[in-house]
Amino acid sequence: MDETHGAEQAAHGADGGLPNPMHQFEIERLIPLKLFGIDASFTNSALFMVIAAFLITVFTIVAMRRRALVPSRLQSVAEMSYEFVHNMVRDNVGTDGMKYFPFVFTLFMFVLALNMLGMVPYSFTVTSHIIVTFALAAFIFIAVTVIGFVKHGPKFLKFFVPDGVPFVMLPLLVVIEVISYLTRPLSLSVRLFANMMAGHTMLKVFGAFVVALGVLGGWAALGFMVAFTGLEILVAFLQAYVFAILTCIYLNDALHMHH
Amino acid sequence: MGQALKLSTEMIAGVAVGGFIGWSLDRWLGTAPALMVLFLFLGGAAGIISVVRSAQRRQAEAGPLPGKDLPADDDE
Repeated sequence: MDETHGAEQAAHGADGGLPNPMHQFEIERLIPLKLFGIDASFTNSALFMVIAAFLITVFTIVAMRRRALVPSRLQSVAEMSYEFVHNMVRDNVGTDGMKYFPFVFTLFMFVLALNMLGMVPYSFTVTSHIIVTFALAAFIFIAVTVIGFVKHGPKFLKFFVPDGVPFVMLPLLVVIEVISYLTRPLSLSVRLFANMMAGHTMLKVFGAFVVALGVLGGWAALGFMVAFTGLEILVAFLQAYVFAILTCIYLNDALHMHH
Repeated sequence: MGQALKLSTEMIAGVAVGGFIGWSLDRWLGTAPALMVLFLFLGGAAGIISVVRSAQRRQAEAGPLPGKDLPADDDE
């Protein structure tokens, strides 16, 4: 009881102060669940992932139900997103990378749906949690490494050996290359997480300014909010795009072995 | 801003991963803090490599600079 009261205060500002902009990122257990000593509760984060997966499935099924030669609006949106990712994979990985298209498409749509759902008022932005983006990035990283080793065998290790380097320099450079390879999941996940979290915090802070400044002074902040919301929608799309295109670039590295 | 953020995350990720590797090795081998210091520098180098590579990639996407529109060497 006390806890909910505290959360309420945090959301609406204690003692009439500004609301806490970080409150929106709090994880709530909707259905508490313990599995083998691990807290596997169904949280608001999980709920929004389920909603995203559900929306994407419904969207693609409904949009492609009629398969008209002259597409309806919904169908052309579905076709556009398909073509968008299709071209992205073809241009960045090549035709032999097309077998990974379903994966990249799913990833792009999932991240895009999560980012866009986050723009809905009162919703929860799953991608503003680094553990979520890191799990996605770590999965991509492991998958890409496995693909590289499956395709090239031990020769994939040559990926870490730069060309035309004096022999004495090799141990140093290989270590640096390996570290640079290991930074991939971190920079991939931090980029998405930082963009989403910074954007949503800014939105909350300026939203609070609108209320705090009132009818007289709030208009400037409100105008900024409107513009910033537009920008945030762009960022939501752009970050999904960046996430997908970097996956393509990493896949390309693993398949064709050049930087 | 997006581009600057992207490049700076790569630099920071390099140093962070290098530092983490060094720290873990230190804990494992009991050589603190020698390896962490070494790997922080190596991580910085790795970060610079990632930044340069992604900047090069970015430049390749943007097309040749004016006056430099000779056919690029294509190692496909």
